[in-house]
Amino acid sequence: MKPAPTLSSAFLHPAGQTLPEPLLALRKQRASALIDMPLPTRKTENWKYSSKYLKLSDDMAISLPAEGKAGTSLAIPGYKVVFINGVMIPEASEYPDLDGIVIQSFSDLDANEAQALSMQLGSALDHEQAQFARVNDARFEDGLLIRLKPGAVLDQPLFIIHNTEADACGSAYPRIYVEAGANSQMTLVEEYTSSGEASALVNTVTEFNLTDGANITSIRLNMEGENVQHIGATGVLQGRNSRFESHCVGFGGQLRRHDLQVRLEGEGAETKLNGVVVTQGKQHYDNHTSIDHVAANCTSEETYRNIAADQSHAIFNGRIHIHQDAQKSSADMNNKNLLLNNGAEIDTKPELEIYADDVKCAHGATIGQLDETSLFYLVSRGIGRREANVLLTMAFINELVSQIPVQAVRETAQLRLNDFFEQTFQEI
Amino acid sequence: MLSIKNLHASVNGEEILKGINLEVKAGEVHAIMGPNGSGKSTLSQVLAGNETFEVTAGEVTLNGDNLLDLATEERAREGVFLAFQYPVEIPGVSNLQFLRTAVNAMRKHRGEEEMNAAEFMKLAKEVSKQVDLDPAFLKRGVNEGFSGGEKKRNEIMQALLLQPKLAILDETDSGLDIDALQVVSNGVNALRADDRAILMVTHYQRLLNHIVPDYVHVLAGGKIVKSGGRELALELEERGYGWLGIKDEDTSN
Repeated sequence: MKPAPTLSSAFLHPAGQTLPEPLLALRKQRASALIDMPLPTRKTENWKYSSKYLKLSDDMAISLPAEGKAGTSLAIPGYKVVFINGVMIPEASEYPDLDGIVIQSFSDLDANEAQALSMQLGSALDHEQAQFARVNDARFEDGLLIRLKPGAVLDQPLFIIHNTEADACGSAYPRIYVEAGANSQMTLVEEYTSSGEASALVNTVTEFNLTDGANITSIRLNMEGENVQHIGATGVLQGRNSRFESHCVGFGGQLRRHDLQVRLEGEGAETKLNGVVVTQGKQHYDNHTSIDHVAANCTSEETYRNIAADQSHAIFNGRIHIHQDAQKSSADMNNKNLLLNNGAEIDTKPELEIYADDVKCAHGATIGQLDETSLFYLVSRGIGRREANVLLTMAFINELVSQIPVQAVRETAQLRLNDFFEQTFQEI
Repeated sequence: MLSIKNLHASVNGEEILKGINLEVKAGEVHAIMGPNGSGKSTLSQVLAGNETFEVTAGEVTLNGDNLLDLATEERAREGVFLAFQYPVEIPGVSNLQFLRTAVNAMRKHRGEEEMNAAEFMKLAKEVSKQVDLDPAFLKRGVNEGFSGGEKKRNEIMQALLLQPKLAILDETDSGLDIDALQVVSNGVNALRADDRAILMVTHYQRLLNHIVPDYVHVLAGGKIVKSGGRELALELEERGYGWLGIKDEDTSN
């Protein structure tokens, strides 16, 4: 029998040593978990549709250098922090010094702050389900810490631009940790972009720890190039009466994986997860979401839409786990999928585990094609076939795109969607 | 304007239209009546270019141009308009966006400048008043959650906006109460023009009290079995389809 593949030992060695001592120690300690770490195969349940897209080589283990020009597709109307290959670039970043709000790169933390952070990093994620978070734990070169003191409100969205400069093979390990104190509020936009054509791994971890009454809106925009293999994980812990709202918009590539894990740990917490995925060519995109209703009286509402064209492949796996004490939970999960070509593939799997008896839980998943009757109706009014296809495809995700609360993100997504329509419906 | 010669059409191998002949001149209003299953809706759909139906023989020309050679959207741009019996709901596309896209497709085809959002909004508001639709409906999804009457009024609104040469109204009166019927009829009457032909497909004659046709044709078994003036419709109302040798369970009212 062939031995199960493991992560190459080349991935064990981080490049930079510029982090404060407590974080270096943490990284070193976590690196031991990477020794002989099994790589997912098609027999690995949570990677069964995606393992074939994962192609790691030893030359991709090298940390990409923190140099290059920061690119963004966003016209930024708020504050911004720019990272290149996982390392913050202060001269490209602009944000004010606000009372009650700490926005700081990991490298700039003093020993006490770094010590405190080292106790928190990784706590919001289930590493069993998001295996690759372990790699990030052992490899992050830098990161962004955001601490909102109780009652602090960030008055404009904070944009974190994570650009991967892949002029040579290598990898980057973006890391973000957000601690939102009681009743604090902020909107955070993470945009992942890339330049260069070499094979690159982008392995991200973002964590949100919402204390009682905190209200966080998170927007994640994946705009990286075809050559990037992106494996990201977001972990969210929610305290009493906190509110988390997530909007993920992603365009496909060689490999795209995002694990989003939310734990509703305090009573009355609310979470809303929206996601839009668009794939074309031979692209891939895999969203795995997981919501744990741990405490009673919490609400979750999840809506994901996938559109797959050509020979692309989109995957949605949505897990809801209602724990024994989570009475009066309300959970609603909905995943709709649109196949634009016969060669495209979409796999969707809702997973519900319910251990409480007084809950409201609904889920639905559909896979379909554009409706012929609707198309006929539109063209019978003189609208061209191409435009009719665009209108109907856009209609499929309009509801979610229009809910994104930051206009610059909506506009960027729309421009990219227009390119997608241009390519997908060019022969009509 | 419209000339149909020996038109045969099938769906899934079953022949529905079995040799239709019809001449409609500009300025005329023709009513096509007939029991359910006679082929009325098939005729409408075939003229509009629904590819579910296969034309197996015959010829259809609009002002001399072969209509059957044109794709649905090209027919629309040449002036064919079909008011659907069952207008389609399209959530996610607003009425405003839909109507403006359609109007601009036509304008572009005619070499006219496209209308911007503000210009179109003004026009759409005016026309929506004509069919008694609250302008708030423009922001909603196409026919989404509309009542039967609102859907039919939206069809007539589209005809008024697109100003077709040939308007085909498929069972436009079905599902309308008396007030809505009056509104829809007013809209259709506003469409009557010397350079426009109207083909009304209807099961019942009540619509014809409001929109008086120049000619009435009875369609049965995929063929036109009788043609006449408006008095034919009245006779059908009085005597049903039975006297023409046509079976119809639904004509008792």
